Formats: sequence, C-alpha cells, structure tokens
Amino acid sequence: MISITHFLIVSAIIFCIGVYAILAKRNAIMILVGIELMINASILNFVAFARYDSVNYGGQVFALFAIVLAAAAVAVGLAIILNVYRHYKTIDPKNINELKD
Amino acid sequence: MSVDFILFYAFAVMAIGSALLLVSIRNTARALFLLFIVLFAMAGLYLFALADFVAITQILVYVGGVLILLIFAFMLSNKSLLSDIHTVSHRLTALPNLPSFLLASVFLAILLFALSSWNNNMPEWMAAAEADGSLIQPTENNIRMLGFKFMTQYVLPFEIISIFLMMALIGAAHISRKGERP
Amino acid sequence: MNELSPISPSVASLLVVLLPFLACVVQALLGRKSISGNISLIAIVSSALLSFFAVFLPVWGNSPMAERITWFTIGQTSFEVGLLLNNLTVLMQLIVCVVAVPVHIYSRYYMKGDSGIHRYWMYLSLFCFAMLGLSISINLLQLYVFWELVGFASYLMIGFWFTRDAAVQANKKAFLINRIGDLGFLIGIALVYSHVGTLDIVALFDQTGRFVQGLTETGGLQVVQKDNTWVTLAGLAFFLGAMAKSAQFPLHVWLPDAMEGPTSVSSLIHAATMVAAGVFLLCTVFPLFNATSLLVITAIGTITALSGAVFALAQYDIKKILAFSTISQLGFMIVGVGIGAWDTALFHLATHAFFKCLLFLAAGAVIHEMAHFKAQTNLDFDPQDIRNMGGLRRYMPKTYVCMSIAALALAGFPLTSGYLSKDSIVVSAYEWASTAGGFYFVIPVTLIIVSLLTAFYIGRLIFKTFFGSFAMQSSVTAHNRPHEAPAGMWWPMSVLSICCFFPVFGLHPLAYHQTWIIQTFHARPGFTEQETAHLIIPIVLTVGTLLALLLGWFWYVKNRYPISQQNRWIRFANRQGYLNEFNELVFIKGTVGLSRLLYAFDRHVVDGATKLFTWTTQQLARLIHWFDANIVDGIVNWIANGTYYMGHLVRQVQNGQLQNYLGFALTIVILGILYLIIK
Repeated sequence: MISITHFLIVSAIIFCIGVYAILAKRNAIMILVGIELMINASILNFVAFARYDSVNYGGQVFALFAIVLAAAAVAVGLAIILNVYRHYKTIDPKNINELKD
Repeated sequence: MSVDFILFYAFAVMAIGSALLLVSIRNTARALFLLFIVLFAMAGLYLFALADFVAITQILVYVGGVLILLIFAFMLSNKSLLSDIHTVSHRLTALPNLPSFLLASVFLAILLFALSSWNNNMPEWMAAAEADGSLIQPTENNIRMLGFKFMTQYVLPFEIISIFLMMALIGAAHISRKGERP
Repeated sequence: MNELSPISPSVASLLVVLLPFLACVVQALLGRKSISGNISLIAIVSSALLSFFAVFLPVWGNSPMAERITWFTIGQTSFEVGLLLNNLTVLMQLIVCVVAVPVHIYSRYYMKGDSGIHRYWMYLSLFCFAMLGLSISINLLQLYVFWELVGFASYLMIGFWFTRDAAVQANKKAFLINRIGDLGFLIGIALVYSHVGTLDIVALFDQTGRFVQGLTETGGLQVVQKDNTWVTLAGLAFFLGAMAKSAQFPLHVWLPDAMEGPTSVSSLIHAATMVAAGVFLLCTVFPLFNATSLLVITAIGTITALSGAVFALAQYDIKKILAFSTISQLGFMIVGVGIGAWDTALFHLATHAFFKCLLFLAAGAVIHEMAHFKAQTNLDFDPQDIRNMGGLRRYMPKTYVCMSIAALALAGFPLTSGYLSKDSIVVSAYEWASTAGGFYFVIPVTLIIVSLLTAFYIGRLIFKTFFGSFAMQSSVTAHNRPHEAPAGMWWPMSVLSICCFFPVFGLHPLAYHQTWIIQTFHARPGFTEQETAHLIIPIVLTVGTLLALLLGWFWYVKNRYPISQQNRWIRFANRQGYLNEFNELVFIKGTVGLSRLLYAFDRHVVDGATKLFTWTTQQLARLIHWFDANIVDGIVNWIANGTYYMGHLVRQVQNGQLQNYLGFALTIVILGILYLIIK
C-alpha cells in the first residue's frame, strides 16, 4: 500500500511545475496548460485523501467535480484566448496590458 | 519492493519528468503532446489512490476533450505569431525565467517542509479512519458507491455542476463566435 | 601796587598777551583787505607801552605776583593756568615787546608790495602773542603750549614764501628738528609731574619751591633729592627742548636754513626772541639741574659757541653769517646757564636781542637795496652774497653806521652792551673753572677764542660789505645805484643802535656787576669771584678783538688775503662742518632705508600674512562650498533620488502584466507562510 506522503510529494511537485508554467510562460495556451497541471495536482490530492473517507466518498466526488470544472474552465479560457488573439494579434500576456478594447 | 511501488514510481517519474519537459520545451505543439503524457500518468497515479472512476474520467474528459480543444485552439491561432515567441529562452534557469523558477522552488520547499512537519500528526478523522480500518479497499465497488453518492448525498452539487458546465460551454461558444462582436 | 599804573600788573600783562592775539584774529578776518599792518603795529605798540609802564616797572625788583585759574580737572588733580610775574618773566616780556616794535615798523617798509603781506601781519601777531604768553606762563604745561605755538609761528614764517622750494624744505627741517626738542620738553614735563606731582612753576622753582638749590628741609614739604637719576634725566630732557629751540649743536642745523624767511622775521624770531626761549626755559627751570646736567649743558654750549663761530667764518651769505653768529652767541648763553651764572646768560640774552636784531635789520636793508639795484640793472646775482657787495658805506651811510655799532657790540667792544654781557659770561666761566680747576679751563679758553673769532667774522662781514670797492661798480650809473634805505627802515635801526650802548643797561661802562639786570637777579653760583680775572680778561678780550679786527682790515680791505678759497678748512667751515651732509646720510638715508625695510616687511610679511589668511579663508570657503554642494545638498538629493528610485522600483510592480501580479501575490503568500513557520 502506497502511503499518502508519496502522493502528496508528487502532487506538490506537479503543482509547483504548474505554478512555474503560469509565471514564466509567454504563451496564453501554455498558461492554461499550467492551470491544468495545478488542477491535476489538486485532484491527486483529493483522491489520495479520499482513501480515508469510505463513508462519504467526498474526495472522489469532488475530484470528479474538479475535472468537470477544469474542462469548463479550459473551454471558456480557450474562447477568451481566441478572442484576445483576434483583438491583439498576439497571445503573449506581456503584450496584453490594456483593459480597454 | 512490490510491483505496486515500481509502477507508482514509474508513473510518478513519468508525470514529473514530462511536466518538467513540458515547461522547458520550446515548441508549443510538442508541449501539448507532453501534456497528454502527463495526464495519462496522472490518471495512472489516481488508480494507485484507488480512484479508478476518477482515472477513467480524467482520460475521457482531458484526453478526449480538453486536450483536443487545446490542440485545436493552438492550430486555429496564427502560426506567424508563434514564431516571435520562439525567441524567448525556455530554459528553466534562463535569466527572464529565474524569478519564476525561484518562486516555484521556494513554494515547493515550503510545501515539502509543511509535509514533513505534518506527517507526524495527521488530522483526527484520518487517524480515526485508520484506527477502525474503514479505509477504501481495492476490492470495493467504487463506481457503484459513487453513483449512490451522486444521486443521494451530492445531488445538489451535481445538478449545479451540470448547469454550470452547460453555462460555461454556451458562454465559450458565445465568446468565440466570429463576426458580430465589435 | 605802583602809582604809575591805574591797572594792576596782572591785568596789564594779560592785555599785553592778548592784544597781539586780537590783532592776529582781526588780520585773519580781514584777510587781503588789510595790508598796511596798522592793526598789528597798534597792538604791539600798546603791548610794549603796557608792558613797560604797567607791568615791568611795578613788578621789577619787587616780590613776584601770580594769578591762577583752574584749567581742567582730571580726577583729583587740577591743572591751572595763570600769570606769573617775577623779575625773569617781566624782563622777558619787555624784551620781546621792545624788540618787536621796531621790527614791526621796519616790516611796513621792508615787506611793502609783497603779495602775501596780509598773512605776514597775521603770522607776526600770532608769534608775538605766543612769545609773550610763553614768557609769563605759570604752568609748565601752559608753557609747553605756548612753546609749540611759537614753533608753529616760526614754521609759518620760515615758509612764508612757500613757492620757493628752499623755503619749504627749510621750514620742514625746522619743524622736524623742533619736534625732537619738543619731545624732550614733554618728557621732562612728564618726569617732573610723575615724581613731584605738580607743574606749577612757583611751587616747583620758587624760593620755597621743591627744587631750590641748597634747600635741605622745608617744613612738611618733601624735598627732592637732586642726585637722583630721574632728576638728571629730566634736566637733560628739558635741555633737549632748549637745544632744539635755541639751536644748540647738533640740533642747530635748522637755524641757518631758516634764513629763507623774510629778514625782518629772521631778526625778530630767529635772532632776538624765539631762539632765546630755550635760554629762558633753562633759566626758569634752573633749580632742577644738578651737577651732571649742568656739566652737559656747559659742554654743549661751548661746542655750539665754537662751531657756530667757525662756521660763520667761511659763509658768503650775509644772513647765514648772522645766523651762525646767533648760534654762537646762544652757545655763550647756554654756557652761562651751565656754569650756574644764569643771570649773566639772561643779561647776554637781553643785550644780544638788541644788537643781533639790529644786525639783521641792517643786513635786511642791505639786501633790500641790493635786490632793488638788481631789479634796476637786470643783472643776475645773489643779493645776499657778500662777495657781490663792497664799498656800500658810500651809498648807505646810515645803515653802515647802525650796523657797525651792532657789530662792535657783537664783538664785545668797550662801551657797548655786548662788552658787558659777554665779559660777564667769560669772567664767570673763568671763575667757575678756577674753582673746579684742571681740565675745566678748556671752557673759558674756548670762549675767549670764540670771542676773537666773533670779532674776526663780524669784521669780515662789515669790511666785505661796506669797505673796499663795489663789486658791481661797472653797472652803477647816475640813476641806477644803491641808495640809502627808506626812513621807515633806518629809524627803527637807529633806535635799536642806541640800545646797543652801555647806558641802557648800566651806568658804569666797564663793570657788568653794576648793570641793573645782574643786580636784580644776582644768582649766587658756587664759585668765588676773582678780582684779577675781572681785570685781565676784559683787557685780553679787547686787545684780541682789536687785533682780530685789524687782521680783518688787512685781509679784506687791503686785499691781502693769504688763504686760498679752496682751502680744506674753509670749505669745511663753509659747508657747516658737513653736518647737513652727515644728517642727510645718517638720518634721512637711514630713515628712508628703514622705511624701505619696513615697507618691504609690510609688503611681504604683513601683506603676506593677510594674503595667507585670505587664501586660507578662500580655501575654507571652497571646502565648505564643497561640503554644502556635496554633503548637504547631497543628502537632500540622495533622499530625493532614493525616493525617486524607490518609486521607480515600485512602479515596476504596476506594469499591467498579469503574470507579474501573480508572481507578486505568490511572493507575498510565501512570505506570509514563512512568517507563520518561523513564528
């Protein structure tokens, strides 16, 4: 039986990689990818802790919710990115620094 | 050393290595395919956490939906605009990325520190569950239990999520619609 | 008081002093409008009459009178001014008045037509005022004030023709040398005041005064020990004052140059009265002198008498001869004071005043006529040079007679006043020397030699001027020739020439003891009288004088002049013993050199220090400026820049970059967690 610590360590590493991707990437799509990584790390946490909750199954249920929300977020995010690209002709967040359209 | 551990470490190494490669690679298209690998590895890790339904859902939703969506979005965007992005260094410790790298490393260190200090005193409910042996067992029918829970205990969040998902998809479609927006 | 006068002698003497002063003020106010000199003349004649009838006659031979008023008060000490009328002062005042009157009359004609005559009368009255005030001062400080005033009037008179460079140089010289003497006088006053505490002449030098000789104990008064050093010093200081004023060797150099002034002035100021002020001062403070200072006085007087006579031998300027003669005769008087027989000195002062004044007036008449002759003939010669004269007795006989009488008096011929006074000094000197003995016989012997020299040089003057043939004979025509001086000039001369005879001073023609001046003063010097000296010395002097005159006659009238004019001794005497050159070399060059040295010192050291100080200050200012610009302003700028850069730095945060915002947010979260962990 693999202990929860292993999951948590892997989850932390993936999460931090996601953080790095969000902070460093010059591409909106890659930022979105970073967000997905972080969500995945958190889902891993959910399922890891879910083992101790055989009564409510809260961990797995919310893991599923999170997957769905992530999918929705990606859909909306990509739509926004496409719009932004259409407007600015770039998806580099460095160049997207104006709120007005 | 059982097969469990070997497989777990294999999946973990695959996930972490792919993720690292993903953030350090230059080509976005390759990165997206690396993400595919990462998501698969993560799904494998879910299996080791005895969440087989979640793992299947992950593969279905992510690989079948999200990733396809990303690739399509990438392909829809102009190729020429991607070229100038290439000029930026993608090395982890390159000078422009250094602050981000440091931040991420420090955050990781804090998380690991927190983990190490947390390990000795687990929350009560976990300790209690461990004590009376009420852990989820690999032999249990996971999907059946989830179905029960969704339809009974978590029916309200389930409905809200479904409406939310619909709203998001409609909104996304609306936003990405061409032409009528100024 | 005396029935002769309706007013008291004190008031009269005050009037005597103030009348010339009033004349001076009026002359000054009238300025150019007053050229006749009548105001000054009236003032001096009134003064003379008052002085004789209202002051001299009541006081002479009687007890002294003194009037004082408080002048000013410093702390507990009051200074008084006032009048002192005793035999000495009234005699001095009378002599000044009596000599001044003929000079005034003479001046009316001598100075006629001069462009500055209004100044002349003003100065003359000023001098009379100062001299008369000097004679009756009761306080040494008051005396000093008048002393300075006399010197100032003399200065003005020497430089009367101030357009002539020689006159300006001469009055500057006179002034400077008189400063030396005045300094001595002032030191003497200071010494006396600091040791005795009073400057009152009566309190100091009267019969009961602090300094009366031989007085050992007088009641409660403190008796001054006369062998103290300060007494010697004070005596020498007073004598220094008298030396400058009375032209004693080596301070006599100003007097020959002072002949640049008008001749009438020379006769009054530089022959008869002012130069006698030194002798008068010595007589006044005579009790102050102790043996040491008296010896110095005698020595200086002797040297002066000899050097003056020697220098007079070789002069060609008629006035310079008389000037050196004056110096020589003043030396006689000083010797008289020095040997203690100050009554003889005063007697000689009186007689000398008359005959020397007359000599100058006569010389002035000669010069006047020579200048007149020069102007008529348009010849270029010096009217004062005796080499250009000769045979003038044919043209100006009255002047010749007057001058001859005065010359005989100067030479000490019997029946003249000069015989009496000069003999009195020489005989006293001999008696003094025989009492002291030994080496002191140098003094009377020198005096006798000087007397013979006197006879010779005055004989030379007379012979060269009035005998022989006129040097300008070729230019003389019926119209253009020297003629007699105007009546206004020779009348005063004739009056003075009467005063050159013995009856004015005493009835006995040969015995000076019976003259009224000697009898009244009757100083008692500490030596015994010797009858033989009274007999022998006058005979020696008379015979010697005659021989000297005879020699002069042969040399100058008969033209048997045996000595080359280029003779070294004659040149030495003519150049006045090179004293002027010596002074030029030592004092003037020395002073100029010292000035240069001080100038260089000032230029390099003092200015250098100033410049160094300036430089240091500048450097300091520069340093402070640097400090201000870099440190003070630097701090302000640094704060401003720091704020600016901080703002610039923080500005980077708000750059609209989502990733940056996220990064900062994460940073804050990390820091918060770290804080929680560490806490």
